[in-house]
Amino acid sequence: MHTKENACCCSFDDCKLTTEWLLSRTRHRPKIAVVCGSGLGLLADNVPNKQSFRYEDIPNFPVSTVPGHEGCLVFGQIKGKSCVFMQGRFHLYEGYSLCKVTFPVRIFKLMGVETIIVTNASGGLCQDFKVGDIMVIKDHINLPGFAGQHPLCGPNDERFGIRFPCMSDAYSKDLRKLVMDITAELGYSNFVHEGVYCMVSGPNFETIAEARMLHILGSDSVGMSTVPEVTVAKHCGLRVMGLSLITNKVSLDYSREEKVNHEEVLQISKMRAEMLQNVLITFIARSHQVEAINDNSCMYSNAV
Amino acid sequence: MHSKDQICHEDYQRAADWLLSQTQHRPKVAIICGSGLGMLADGLKCQDSFKYSDIPGFPQSTVKGHAGRLVFGELKGKTCVCMQGRFHMYEGHSLSKVTFPVRVFKLLGVDTLIVTNAAGSLADSYNCGDIMIIRDHINFPGLAGLNPLNGPNDEKFGPRFPPMSGVYDRGLRKMALDICKGMGVSQYVQEGVYCMVGGPNFESIAEARLLHRLGVDAVGMSTAPEVLVASHCGIRVFGLSLITNKVVKSYEDNETVNHEAVLEVSKMRSETLQALVTELISRMDINNNTA
Repeated sequence: MHTKENACCCSFDDCKLTTEWLLSRTRHRPKIAVVCGSGLGLLADNVPNKQSFRYEDIPNFPVSTVPGHEGCLVFGQIKGKSCVFMQGRFHLYEGYSLCKVTFPVRIFKLMGVETIIVTNASGGLCQDFKVGDIMVIKDHINLPGFAGQHPLCGPNDERFGIRFPCMSDAYSKDLRKLVMDITAELGYSNFVHEGVYCMVSGPNFETIAEARMLHILGSDSVGMSTVPEVTVAKHCGLRVMGLSLITNKVSLDYSREEKVNHEEVLQISKMRAEMLQNVLITFIARSHQVEAINDNSCMYSNAV
Repeated sequence: MHSKDQICHEDYQRAADWLLSQTQHRPKVAIICGSGLGMLADGLKCQDSFKYSDIPGFPQSTVKGHAGRLVFGELKGKTCVCMQGRFHMYEGHSLSKVTFPVRVFKLLGVDTLIVTNAAGSLADSYNCGDIMIIRDHINFPGLAGLNPLNGPNDEKFGPRFPPMSGVYDRGLRKMALDICKGMGVSQYVQEGVYCMVGGPNFESIAEARLLHRLGVDAVGMSTAPEVLVASHCGIRVFGLSLITNKVVKSYEDNETVNHEAVLEVSKMRSETLQALVTELISRMDINNNTA
């Protein structure tokens, strides 16, 4: 079970305070937020006009539980587009409450972000996926949420969004089409797929029986992140694009002893991570081609 | 997230004693009214009504303007108590709070619980406005560690490991089907499996497909904890779901779900459901005498 902090500082006013703190310290006004998954923070490293804030310095922000892996919010421009990057995300299995895991998404919304890109490393369940492949997230299965561990659990603040948000269209169809077009142009079609991402709480990897169950239930890849952030993003009206880098192939077979060449895996993953950056850069440059429909913007303008 | 409340027998007893001192009614049937189904309480005669906020130990509503009430009264000569407004896990209530009223009902002498809810259908044969008699349920939160019976077991209420097969009373289910035939509404009443998920979002398509694959006919965000606790302390259970939306299971479907639609459809068939529950309560004695 997850204990609720006595003074949970994720209320609307807490979010406003953090937002105002950031807006007063950076001239950037990002429209696009990128949540970088494990090993996928490259993009933020090379951003022009870069401005970074350590999580520990940002009021109300969650603090890293991993020594030596302190995270940063990185503001900057990509192809003329103002962006903010989360270098280092928060996970349920680290002991964070889900409102802490998703707190940054609320901040992005209040800062004026319209589109959020989430990336992650995940295990491939679909047998057509190979290590290094990229899966455009078409939909997700939120197993912790099914079981009552949900970032929207608790009294609902209508200033963020409605009580019962619909998740059947969480991952923007138009943005998915754009990214598929981009990957085709870049000649990446043979290792880019669409699929369903399943979140489990972790931190253990799945047993073979669990992996087979998840596969039978319609999961194409499995991981321990992303879904809480996407749920909150949908709740407050952000457009969502999700990308998974398949970094391991999950075993579904008791008899086969897969000989994994770790050196080869790391090499392929690194190569594909760079290709993923290419996709993201091109996507960010062209995301304005997809109309931003944000019917919540007036409410937020008034609220801030 | 969900905090663990330690509620002891004395807390339930205090609430029951307070209620017994405030009303002459000694209910045998308790009804939990689902979203949009609160009018079941309106049919009670000789009413005594108590705000949840006045009852010692009772949970408080987290939704402004939606304060709940316990309504005692007579229905077809039977003494009943209605929960107008229930508690949900997704509001942040602990499961011991969600189920607190059920144990109070037990101490008041209730022997039958009727639960109603609004649910989304996964079975293709169900339409909006249909009524599903709950044959069984799948309790996702309970399977994953969020179970109202977690913690030390109080033997005064029930056993450590209560059986859950057959929890939705077969006799009452059959009686309900007979009543529907008599009322001429059989074409939109069927039996099915209800699945509880944590909520509060409506399901993604991948999740809907998963549930359908697992044998779920209707999905909602309530009911299982209350039924679990009722069964644990020996209360007979009957459940009804009003189908208020069809859950999207196809990526080609452009329909989206919203809560306003839920309340709108509820009005359509809620009168039928009310009549069904009323008639069921009216006939229960026959079953009791036979047993």
